[in-house]
Amino acid sequence: MSMLLEVSGVSVTFDGFRAINNLSINFAEAELRAIIGPNGAGKTTFMDIVTGKTKPDEGTVIWGERNISLLGMSESKIATEGIGRKFQKPTVFEAQTVRQNLAMALKNPRSPFDVLMHKKTKHNAERIEAIADNIGLLDNLTRVAGELSHGQKQWLEIGMLLAQEPRLLLVDEPAAGMTVEEREKTTDILKEAAKTRAVVVVEHDMEFVRRLDCKVTVLHEGSVLAEGSLDHVTSNQTVIDVYLGRGHA
Amino acid sequence: MRRSFLIENPSVMWFLAGLGLFTVVVTLMSEVTGVGLISTSFVKTLGKTLCLCLIAIAMDVVWGYCGILSLGHFAFFGIGGYAIGMWLMYARTEIVVLESLSGQAIPPTSQEISDAIGNQIFGVVGSSEFPLIWAFADSLFLQLVMVILIPGLLALVFGWLAFRSRVTGVYLSILTQAMTLALSLYLFQNDSGLRGNNGLSGLQNIPGYEGVSQATISIIFFIASAIALGAGYVFFAWVVSGKMGSVIKGIRDNEARVRFLGYHVESYKLFIFTITAVVSGIAGALYYPQAGIINPGEIAPIASIYLAVWVAIGGRGRLYGAVIGAAFVSLVSSWFTGGGAPNVDLGFYTIQWTDWWLIVLGLSFVAVTLFFPKGIGGLFDYLVRKPS
Repeated sequence: MSMLLEVSGVSVTFDGFRAINNLSINFAEAELRAIIGPNGAGKTTFMDIVTGKTKPDEGTVIWGERNISLLGMSESKIATEGIGRKFQKPTVFEAQTVRQNLAMALKNPRSPFDVLMHKKTKHNAERIEAIADNIGLLDNLTRVAGELSHGQKQWLEIGMLLAQEPRLLLVDEPAAGMTVEEREKTTDILKEAAKTRAVVVVEHDMEFVRRLDCKVTVLHEGSVLAEGSLDHVTSNQTVIDVYLGRGHA
Repeated sequence: MRRSFLIENPSVMWFLAGLGLFTVVVTLMSEVTGVGLISTSFVKTLGKTLCLCLIAIAMDVVWGYCGILSLGHFAFFGIGGYAIGMWLMYARTEIVVLESLSGQAIPPTSQEISDAIGNQIFGVVGSSEFPLIWAFADSLFLQLVMVILIPGLLALVFGWLAFRSRVTGVYLSILTQAMTLALSLYLFQNDSGLRGNNGLSGLQNIPGYEGVSQATISIIFFIASAIALGAGYVFFAWVVSGKMGSVIKGIRDNEARVRFLGYHVESYKLFIFTITAVVSGIAGALYYPQAGIINPGEIAPIASIYLAVWVAIGGRGRLYGAVIGAAFVSLVSSWFTGGGAPNVDLGFYTIQWTDWWLIVLGLSFVAVTLFFPKGIGGLFDYLVRKPS
């Protein structure tokens, strides 16, 4: 099967600390995947490498059917190639309205000149409304994003990712600080999104991961410890020892 | 599209109406075109103030909207002034030289004329040679091109180097200070080709209009400054109103996020830095013929810091705030430092405003930052309720 993203043999060291150690991990088109692991397992660093924020010391990151290397590409170029990222803390533009936030994210030409000459079109407005409907913020389009609740900000950020129309969505702890109902809705949004693209969710919360009902990759000390269904990895003795045992002790 | 832009931004219409009214009132009260209630020197002060308002809105766009605290925009203002000053000085000296040589029996050669002009202009710095940078000084058109080109190119190169290396925040501010300081120190040298600390003078005399009184010239420059401010305001309001405004405000609030949305942040910063530098250059080119003289002291680092203070006091992130701040602070400043404010005798000590004004300005800057982060412009929020 042809892979959308192939990460192989990647290592990165920060001041002598090996954050990622010979990591190899692949994602297929239209796949939902959860990445779990204890603190310091390298989950966020992995995302930093894929999105171009951190340059690895060795290894390759190959993208798409043209097999291009993402290493050495700028963050903005990688984003326009089709990789979207949601940060751990909800980061929306709080001084601007929900509509402006979505409009900025909407897939359109990104050069300064294009943006300067940009005109509001009916087509774009419809796209924005469709996304807002999807994330449950249709009635909040004119509100300033700073006024939204924590959960709504998380959804707005997911909505901004969807607006980018990425082929791979990296989502860092989407359920953090959410109520039970909000978590359910978030699960639905992510599952829906994964029908048409690859969605990779980094999460601590096992209950949330169970609800996602997808393939799970366990990271430990910068490399893959186990991979498979949630039941499969949680019955793995090493996983219990290094991760679950600690968390549930 | 243009009409809808103005309708969506009523503050632009209000601003243009206010500026237009102000221009008409001043014109009707000036000495030549009106009843003479406003002196020629005060018309010049008002015209200069309008130019300062123009550079203030440029500063507001680069700082208040895009979050780049440039403390070097007065360098571009000064360059604009020098560029136009070179033509003014050259053309006027040429007229004077031709007059004095016209009495001779043998008509002077072009070399003799050129030498005489060079002698007149560069005599003060012990030279008579025209430096290379004066190559276009005989052409008004080319020097006007320089007004736009030189600040634009300097901003483009400086910005490209700084933004590409991801220099941000206070480090960028320090770099911009260094840029304006370096330029100022360079120009102070006699062999810089721009008359060292003498600067360029006599800029209020417009070549070809020797017969026209300063009263008339002052009102023409005043109106030209008002038009430039109006045009600059509409231009920047258009830039910051649409999606471009969204993106640059996003860069101000969270640069990394904008980057991960797929926008090449460095290009946007460079674009904003450069267009604001060009507008600053234009403002300077209108300012210095009204001031009459430009010297390297004008682009000392402190000038650019004042610019930031005006914008902060007026209200960052709204264009009219920058205009209010620049006009209010610079006029009050010249009232205090020009001896307009009466000294206060406390018995044991006399407060001399020429000394104490800077303290007052500094304290009000601190007070505004702490208690009214929206500045004077923020008061409008109480008057106008935002449409929901």
